[in-house]
Amino acid sequence: MKLAGNDILIQSLINEGVEYIFGYPGGAALHIYDAIFKQNKMEHILVRHEQGATHAADGYARATGKPGVVLVTSGPGATNAITGIATAFMDSIPMVVISGQVAKHLIGTDAFQETDMIGISRPIVKHSFTVESAENIPEIVKQAFYIATSGRPGPVVIDVPKDTTAPDKLFEFNYPDEVNIRSYSPPIDPEKNQIERAVEAIIASEKPVIYAGGGAINSNASSELIKLNEILNFPVTNTLMGLGVYPATDERFLGMLGMHGTYQANMAMHNADLIIAIGARFDDRITNTPKLFAPNAKIIHFDVDHSSVSKIIEANIAVFGQVKNSLNEIIKLCELKKEMINTKKISSWKNQIKEWKKSHGLNHDMYLEDSDDSPIMPQAVVQHVYNITEGKAFVTSDVGQHQMFAAQYYHFDEPRKWINSGGLGTMGFGLPSAMGVKLAFPNDEVVCITGEGSIQMCIQELSTCTQYNLPIKIININNEALGMVKQWQDMNYGGRHSESTYQSSLPNFIELVESYGHVGIKIEKNSELKSQLERAFSLKDKLVFVDVYVDPDEHVYPMLVAPNGSLKDMWLDKETKT
Amino acid sequence: MIQRKVSIILENKPGALVRVVGLFHQRGYNIESLHVDPVNDLTKYKYVEKNLNIKLKEGEVSHLIISTTVNDNLLRQILRQINKLIDVLIAEEVK
Ligand SMILES: Cc1ncc(C[n+]2csc(CCOP(=O)(O)OP(=O)(O)O)c2C)c(N)n1
Ligand SMILES: [Mg+2]
Repeated sequence: MKLAGNDILIQSLINEGVEYIFGYPGGAALHIYDAIFKQNKMEHILVRHEQGATHAADGYARATGKPGVVLVTSGPGATNAITGIATAFMDSIPMVVISGQVAKHLIGTDAFQETDMIGISRPIVKHSFTVESAENIPEIVKQAFYIATSGRPGPVVIDVPKDTTAPDKLFEFNYPDEVNIRSYSPPIDPEKNQIERAVEAIIASEKPVIYAGGGAINSNASSELIKLNEILNFPVTNTLMGLGVYPATDERFLGMLGMHGTYQANMAMHNADLIIAIGARFDDRITNTPKLFAPNAKIIHFDVDHSSVSKIIEANIAVFGQVKNSLNEIIKLCELKKEMINTKKISSWKNQIKEWKKSHGLNHDMYLEDSDDSPIMPQAVVQHVYNITEGKAFVTSDVGQHQMFAAQYYHFDEPRKWINSGGLGTMGFGLPSAMGVKLAFPNDEVVCITGEGSIQMCIQELSTCTQYNLPIKIININNEALGMVKQWQDMNYGGRHSESTYQSSLPNFIELVESYGHVGIKIEKNSELKSQLERAFSLKDKLVFVDVYVDPDEHVYPMLVAPNGSLKDMWLDKETKT
Repeated sequence: MIQRKVSIILENKPGALVRVVGLFHQRGYNIESLHVDPVNDLTKYKYVEKNLNIKLKEGEVSHLIISTTVNDNLLRQILRQINKLIDVLIAEEVK
């Protein structure tokens, strides 16, 4: 079959099974857009800003495990996509971004809407390609999808000079069945002796903790992790990125660890004699001061990425491979040796953890407050949302206090349900990522828990939600401030709120969302909180924006003491330090 | 800390070299010297073919030598980061 470059590109994507492509047109991409017009296998979602396209594709990828696909034009289209590419890169999310580029003969001439996209995106992509000729497109697309989804996943950029998609030059189209990149072979199966060493360490341990992160979700290893812990019965904590990979309602689950982790999770990590890290990368929001991190712990580290192991914290035993495969191997060996696990010592360790939880664990009953004498607490909002959605919703979030409250109080029992920008911490992620999730799962409840600061960073996507009829529920935890910034200023800058409030410049969110054709609900009283939230969720076919006014002075706790603190050094409330 | 030499065999493709150089800057490693040649005489590189189970052709790959002053841990991290680059076939310390 003979096709032009623009059709070759689109056919290649269709061959990869792409169902949605998120994008925004412009000069350098117009040949490609014409090819989109002529087909009906793949739906294009027209966003309102290229950042929205990348986050929507990212949300789609996180929820489904399939790569998200983005199409933008050259110059400003490409640069607008950068924040979303960096977001996906930091969280290892598979994504393929196609950027239009000026024609080859114009490259380097400062042509209209020319930017060096390959150069700008280099530090935030797993790999990138420039199309030299339409003939190479199938091979490049095949490689791009393979690279984006294999090993440690990540975004891949394909820069497409306009002349390579010209409609008037035809080429033979054959989509390759296989891909082989000789310089790229991510590890798949673990080495046997590392598995044996890991099991020896497990048997020797008296105070073990399993610490699982986003890598375990990327590797689809949730059921393996659950199976492993049916044998081990160890306490489990998850990173912000790992929430849901182990069921939050399981009694062995300690909650999230790290900067705003639970008291029991951080104490367990600090006092452990064995940490089993599974697809987690010991970043600074987890370790606090690396030198003071878990002083008595041996570390077993399961990861697919060599460069993540012993980068911050030296691993005693490194198990390289797809986490899923590695867990399957260790399950077999643990099954044989389970009698040797020191259940007696471990049981007193678990009692210790229970004591920690009892003394300073989170209060999950704040939703019971219904008196109008006290302000609405942001935690209570999340607790109500959890109850109303029966813990089954997809929850996307933005960045700030509301994000931490969502992570602390919505108990995720399944992976891929909690969608947030952990690594880059990108405000503006919540709404567009919810669109990607809703397109992938139209029959599921999709909630965006956001703040009045973050939501305004991609609020234009409310229009996209109208166009494609995406009945997302947006819960705006409105503290009339950049709350997390304000919290740091309260704690570290003598309460000087430098540029973290907006005086009275906030929009009337209700009128704003109504102008897009959505429903707005404003809540200001505890006595109305439950019933109004229930009403929001009862409007099944509508995007509902719930603007909840919460206590503007609330802080997120626990909070690690920094700098120079360890995981046992936490603020527990405004006055109390451990 | 002493000066180490890192030897890198990478695909002779546009943009491959700048990925390696960019990585040094991005990760905060210093480059003290840098030398790059296309590989035309393959006799020295049989071990690459053997390790990766591939057949090289003349001019297909480049050989890059970078020196940098780092400790053992950082050197290991640098090598792992470079090896992760898609266009890199092998990165190792020159002993
Ligand atoms: C794009 C971007 N700019 C700045 C920041 C720094 N930042 C982190 S949290 C925060 C405040 C967020 O305010 P809001 O969305 O209202 O959430 P709140 O903390 O009030 O719940 C800011 C400015 C960021 N994370 N992302
Ligand atoms: Mg706020």
